[in-house]
Amino acid sequence: MASLYLLIPLGVGVVIAALLLFLWASSGGQFDDLEDLSSRLPDDER
Amino acid sequence: MEAARDWSAFDRPEVRAGFGSATAQGCEVLLALDGVHCAACAGRVERLLAGRADQVRVNVAARTVAFRHQPDRVRISELLAALDQAGFAPQVLAREEPAAREARRRRLAFARIGVATICAMQVMMLAWPSYFGVTPEPAIAQLLRWSQLIIAIPGVLWAGWPFFDGAWQGLRGGQLDMNAPVALALGVAFAASLAHTVAGSGDLYFDTATMFVWFLAVGRYLEGRTRARAGEHLRLLAGRRSLTAQRRRDGLVETVGIGQLRAGDTVVVPAGEALPADGLVLEQAAELDESLLTGESHPVLHQPGQNAPAGSINLGSAPLLIEVLRTGADTVLAQITRLLDSAQGRKPRLQQLADRIAGHFVAAVLALAALGYAAALWRGAGAGAALNIALAVLVASCPCALSLAIPAALAAATSKLARHGILVTNAGALRALASIDTVLFDKTGTLTRPGMSLRRVVPLADQDADTCTGLAAALEQGSRHPIASAFAAGASTYQARDLDQIPGAGVGGTIQGMRYWLGAPELAPYPARLPGAESADATCLVLCDDSRALAWFELGAELRPEAGGLMDELRRRGLALQLLSGDAADAVAAVASRLGLSMAKSRQTPEDKLAHLEELQASSHGVLAVGDGINDAPLLAAARVSAAMPQGAALTQSRADLLLLGDSLAALPLALDTARAAQRRIRENLGWALLYNLLALPLAMSGHLPPWLAALGMSLSSLLVIANALRLGPAPSLVASRPSQPDAEPARWPASIC
Repeated sequence: MASLYLLIPLGVGVVIAALLLFLWASSGGQFDDLEDLSSRLPDDER
Repeated sequence: MEAARDWSAFDRPEVRAGFGSATAQGCEVLLALDGVHCAACAGRVERLLAGRADQVRVNVAARTVAFRHQPDRVRISELLAALDQAGFAPQVLAREEPAAREARRRRLAFARIGVATICAMQVMMLAWPSYFGVTPEPAIAQLLRWSQLIIAIPGVLWAGWPFFDGAWQGLRGGQLDMNAPVALALGVAFAASLAHTVAGSGDLYFDTATMFVWFLAVGRYLEGRTRARAGEHLRLLAGRRSLTAQRRRDGLVETVGIGQLRAGDTVVVPAGEALPADGLVLEQAAELDESLLTGESHPVLHQPGQNAPAGSINLGSAPLLIEVLRTGADTVLAQITRLLDSAQGRKPRLQQLADRIAGHFVAAVLALAALGYAAALWRGAGAGAALNIALAVLVASCPCALSLAIPAALAAATSKLARHGILVTNAGALRALASIDTVLFDKTGTLTRPGMSLRRVVPLADQDADTCTGLAAALEQGSRHPIASAFAAGASTYQARDLDQIPGAGVGGTIQGMRYWLGAPELAPYPARLPGAESADATCLVLCDDSRALAWFELGAELRPEAGGLMDELRRRGLALQLLSGDAADAVAAVASRLGLSMAKSRQTPEDKLAHLEELQASSHGVLAVGDGINDAPLLAAARVSAAMPQGAALTQSRADLLLLGDSLAALPLALDTARAAQRRIRENLGWALLYNLLALPLAMSGHLPPWLAALGMSLSSLLVIANALRLGPAPSLVASRPSQPDAEPARWPASIC
């Protein structure tokens, strides 16, 4: 059980890091176009 | 505290010219507003501007407000500051910015969903011991509590911020809107959990709160996307506005801002690009895509000298040359955009009633949540269970669906009709249109094309028909008489000079040194054996040279090609069809006979038409009046619902509820079907919204609906209402007899606009 004293705060830290990473990617426009890429791919192949 | 923004720069005339359009009644302004989410927000904006601006129309779907104000009485900066202080963050933007603003909003909404997702999952993982009844040792339990708190802070407070902000802005405006119960539920759940965390004992609701935010954020995101689809046509129209144009001056082509264009400028429109202004086609014919403006899906051929509207696309392979007639806010495109935005922002009476009910409903929900909490405590259910009941009532009964039921259906219907060239200038008219049983038609310019067409040419001497028609066309060149339109199609190779108009008799002129005369047969200088007219409503003319009669012309009003099919379609829908015309009995009878109309009245003055209409409406008939715009203004204004084709009259001067932009009546059945379908959707939406609330409320009050399920139900009910409205769907093909290219004529865009 003693490991939980390390793992829980570590988990919280990972969550915070994931949140910051997600916000960084989002503000960079990574999720702006979730639909067109799939339709552009076949066009690129032609 | 953030300093209040200085809006005074917007009072400067040169700045104001960039976003407001001056009219005789004042300055019309269109602003983008953040923070408008529902009908209650729209109501607050209207109250804020009441008394300081006229004709305030808030479009919740497009998140805009349009109004008219007197700059000398109320400065625009005062209005902007008032909106800003109320939390609506008005934005006076360049034309391309609404799309960028929408993209920013969508990006932020998506980020909130992402944060809510991550936080909700992690909080639930940390709350797992309580799900399985496991009791960890006290120090671990406390560590789990604090960890949940840390993760719930962004999950509830940041991701759920729009609900808190919305509720606060509503309260500041003295209004309880949809955000109030949501914010209260989130706030209570978070505060109770925070207190229990600090105390080290008691139930936590961080998992419920984060999941609730996730459901709501996803629901609002999808709802926003769906509503955006309803306002898509408006954005497409806005997107057609060019920012620059290629102006040709002294043989050189320069790129200039659209604001620098003036009437009379010559502009080059490259292939595939949109016309930057309304203009006259010069030099060579061009095919244009006018689908966004008129609903005409085929390319429309424009001959030199014909009007072409801004926003239509040059489909030719060569650049098109136009002479600018109107720019900016005066273009047909700008007027259509304004009318559509105004119609979507105008609230019909039924929607006003629904908004009032929703406002009272929120107050009732808050009272019921308190009652549920007290009742649960009184039953001895414990504070935790009582709080669950209060949260479920707050969340489940939020009347979002009720508020969305009508605007969602109306926005979908007006957008669909706009895509097919029908501009609904009054959303309330859709309700009236759904209940009509009689259609009154005007004849000239409505069932028949404006002007006259050449039906028959009979040569009377040795010159052939084409030569005679060319000579007549030369004599009529430049004339504004309706007869001249019959000869306009055959561009003459002859040039006439010394033209001599003789009112009521004819026209004389010299062509290639010889004197010719064209006029009424009874006034012809040389008698001839003339053939009889084939139709009672025909107008006959004789062409003579200086010694004999050369040809005999039979002219008449040309029935619109789609008129016959339209009558069949309308009869199939159970409508009574009537014709009222100021023309002579023969002409009216001929048209009525060709269209199979049993009821047709001739020699009708505007007063006669009005009396007939009032008689019909007094006997409980729902009447749709169809006219050509200006001449029938009294009839159109008095009819329960009216439709007009705006050729020869400014769009904004037209009194009609529906404007048929494609110079065709073929879209009328579609308008009827869409109006009837919209009424069905509204009834279904209201029924569903009421049913959901009636079912959810008792379940939540009795403790059978956990808060997370209430959140899911509320989000789904709103989405269902929107999705049902969008079932109005794509339109079927129009009346079969609609002319197809290349025979179709371009829409007759107004020759002069306000």
